[in-house]
Amino acid sequence: MTELLDIYLLEAVLNGLLLGGLFALLSLGLNLIFGVIDVVWICYAELMMCGMYAVYYLYVQFHWPLALAMLAAIGIVALLGFLLHQFVIRPVLAAEPINQLLVTGGVLFFLQAAATLAFGIDFRNLGLALPALRVGDMSFSAARLIAFGVALLGVLGLFLFLNRTYVGTAIRAISQDRAVMPLMGVSGPRIFAITSALGGALAGLGACLLVLQYDVHPAIGLSFGPIVFLICVLGGLGNLLGGFAAAFVFAQFISIGGYFFAIEWGYVIAFAFFIAAMFWRPRGLFSR
Amino acid sequence: MRIHRLVTTAALLALAPLFAAAQQKEIKIGFIYDVTGPFAGGGSEPAQIGTKAAVDYINERGGVEGYKIVPIFADAQSKADVAINEATRLVDQEKVDIVAGVYSSAQCVPLVQQTDARKKFTWLNVCVATAVFKDKKLTYVFRPTVHSDQYGAASCDYIHYYSKSKFGVEPAKLRVAIIHEDGPYGVGVATGNEAQCKKLGLDIVLKEGYSATAPDLSSLVTKLKRARPDVILHTGYNPDITLFMRQAKEQGLKFKALVGHGAGHSQMEKLRQSFGDDVNYFHSIDPAAAQLLDPKTLKPAMGPLIQELIKRYQAVKGPGELPPHASMGFNNTWILLTDVLPRAIKKYGGIDSESLRKAALDTDIPLGGTMQGYGVKFYGPGTPLAGQNERSFVVVMQYVNGQAKIAWPREIQTVDPVLPFPKGHVFAQ
Repeated sequence: MTELLDIYLLEAVLNGLLLGGLFALLSLGLNLIFGVIDVVWICYAELMMCGMYAVYYLYVQFHWPLALAMLAAIGIVALLGFLLHQFVIRPVLAAEPINQLLVTGGVLFFLQAAATLAFGIDFRNLGLALPALRVGDMSFSAARLIAFGVALLGVLGLFLFLNRTYVGTAIRAISQDRAVMPLMGVSGPRIFAITSALGGALAGLGACLLVLQYDVHPAIGLSFGPIVFLICVLGGLGNLLGGFAAAFVFAQFISIGGYFFAIEWGYVIAFAFFIAAMFWRPRGLFSR
Repeated sequence: MRIHRLVTTAALLALAPLFAAAQQKEIKIGFIYDVTGPFAGGGSEPAQIGTKAAVDYINERGGVEGYKIVPIFADAQSKADVAINEATRLVDQEKVDIVAGVYSSAQCVPLVQQTDARKKFTWLNVCVATAVFKDKKLTYVFRPTVHSDQYGAASCDYIHYYSKSKFGVEPAKLRVAIIHEDGPYGVGVATGNEAQCKKLGLDIVLKEGYSATAPDLSSLVTKLKRARPDVILHTGYNPDITLFMRQAKEQGLKFKALVGHGAGHSQMEKLRQSFGDDVNYFHSIDPAAAQLLDPKTLKPAMGPLIQELIKRYQAVKGPGELPPHASMGFNNTWILLTDVLPRAIKKYGGIDSESLRKAALDTDIPLGGTMQGYGVKFYGPGTPLAGQNERSFVVVMQYVNGQAKIAWPREIQTVDPVLPFPKGHVFAQ
């Protein structure tokens, strides 16, 4: 085991950190939605898939500049988030949580099937090769470094939005007391719609970073959906900072566990830790 | 008069099913493939297109011994449980005479246990895991294509043969890494790799599996950088292959050759779209794509048949290299329709599972008798691989400047393999 303590271990740790940044960004929107509306969007990763397709088509097929294509994709997924709330979530807001879960699960399958019909089963990518950062024998993906930076900026921006703006304050207020705030002039439906659009925009932002690193295909959500959901639960569903921290914990288990043992063991250890954490702190590691 | 008319009408109504049966003698075959989910893009869709082409062509030629083939295609959605449910539906509701197709070994392994227990004749076109048959004592399941032990052995034989002459090292010093997806297909091939490479005295420096849907393989790449293999033997589907390739490039992994084992590695057009010249000189092992073989080495009827496949496949997918899976779908369906079925009908009197089983056991196609080059003779009852084709073989293909060439076995080589990667290749050491 001691012979494994070398520069490659450091590479594994740092790559775990970058993977954590990606997971952290992906968990932000899901946590925000649950924290405010108290509904889990099981179809969150499929919204990201839609965003990835949007970037792909606008950039590759319609030759838009990449930055513009990404901005448009964020807007499109924000709109999808808004529509998801208006037409799917709102009618079941008062229903049992299991019904809400099943409804968004239905949207998951709908989006997968619709993407298969609309875009086919081919794997598509932007055809971009971003440079890698090399430090001695270590090498790091530029796309991951960007994702890491954007994740930090994302959480900071969201924090500032929620704490420094009127709408953000209203979102926080209604997440704390859904019954009383309408009596004080805050429109619950309006805030929920804004939050859904914001959650969608964060999914769109995640999509922009994913599409730099992964091929897009109708089943891409399967690779990320379950892990992002677990990370949110591990950090405490609805707890933005908890989810952010849990993403790094989870990613390090995968990366370092995979380095010292077989790569599959990295996931086994991460999930075993998750189960143990649920016994220890059922509401999440960072729940208050 | 009225009574006479009534009697005539009743008689006609009573005879109608007989007329209908005489006009519409049908054989229903339920084909299971994945046209959604990750396996679709990994080769399952081309296999279905090839299968449909074979069925259409046979029907256009009048069917099989007066029977029209009625294919019912089911989508397994890249999930084993869906594949099993679809098989049940095909047997119980669609009342198919034969269950066939199946791309993924993860689906084949549990599925054939059920169909065999129900005595439903099952014909596997694509899935390759040896574990599907090994010591399972299956009675009604047959597979004309190759099995995973053959993949595992071929790649080791290939690199062992060229160790000194191309890589410039003794076989004992050739460093080999075996990486694979962790389903029955990947594990089966990797087990074959390990056994054969060890037998040949190659130096295995790493052997590791991973989930095909893993979102990150960077720690695997880091371990490979540490292990410094000369050759990577890789078994995967997609998207894991593209993820591995992308992360290997980003993390600066260097090696001398990569030998893939079918599935995602045989989808060269797709890999080229993603990676351009980075995949130049990569290899894939599979039963030969029919269009790569020299028609002179095959039975004369095979040449036009290959052209028929190419024409029909490109009518669906457009111009471009046909993946081996298209040939697997077409060729293996063709063997069923032109060899087994006619014998079952003529010699054994029907298309029930027992007649089909006996007809399959009589199959005796010599080498060169199919469009993929192999012959067909099934291991008989009481043998460890009962139901598997004992005359199947794989080839090692190398992709050279966008074209697939046969690099192994030497007897049918169409290229002197380029080993190791030439200078300037993104993965060259």
